[in-house]
Amino acid sequence: MKYILLMSGTSAGVDRYRAWPQQDIDAHMKVLRNISQELTESGEFVATQGLAAPTEARVVRGVKNGLPVTDGIFPESKEFLLGYWIVDVETAERAYAIAGRISAAAGPQGVPTNMPIEVRRFAFDEPKSQ
Amino acid sequence: MKYILMMNTMKAGHGVPNWPQKDLQAHIAFMKNLNKDLRGSGELVSAEGLAFPDQAKLVRAGKDGKPITDGVFPESKEFLAGYWIIDVDNAERAYAIAARVSAAPGPGGSPLNMPIEVRPVMSGPPPEMM
Repeated sequence: MKYILLMSGTSAGVDRYRAWPQQDIDAHMKVLRNISQELTESGEFVATQGLAAPTEARVVRGVKNGLPVTDGIFPESKEFLLGYWIVDVETAERAYAIAGRISAAAGPQGVPTNMPIEVRRFAFDEPKSQ
Repeated sequence: MKYILMMNTMKAGHGVPNWPQKDLQAHIAFMKNLNKDLRGSGELVSAEGLAFPDQAKLVRAGKDGKPITDGVFPESKEFLAGYWIIDVDNAERAYAIAARVSAAPGPGGSPLNMPIEVRPVMSGPPPEMM
């Protein structure tokens, strides 16, 4: 079954992350790269992506005079998707375990960020091939 | 450039919309046509629908390395219902496709005018994170 693991945060959270010491950012990214590497080796990796900064986000709603209506103003509380992992696993528990590891990735001074990771199953999906 | 179009239209507890069958079918047919057009133009990277929010879990790392899962969300939380990743020449094209998604038919065939969030996708971590 395929699951998507969604990492979200506010714009202020992204600003705080950008202010981490470089070595902490490096250590954090290394953990995430290792997780992707292990998932690739176990055959569970499907895809991962990071999204560009919330400042580049736009909401599009309908068309006016033949042009899309775009808006780039968001409430401060809005949770933006920062990145995601798609995994192909046997059970929901395995998806939660991977999400737990992502959540445990080190932040400043090596303390786990404990970020909440939202886990969602794909609606239309074939069972994992044996 | 790659963009993700996100349909953040669901709230906690939402299931299959209570629309007449023919309206649901028209909505699905619209989405299928859209995907066919984007595949035809070579712009579709992937499109997925997610299972309903009643199956969503939030996962955090526990102290013992075991994941802590939580399925209770604030009423205000917007859930990702589905997304498209497209590879297009410019942001304006991404907005135009988002506007088309926004206009998907709802009950009675009227356009839903859904807000569609558009974000650039990074092809890899930004250089400062490597």
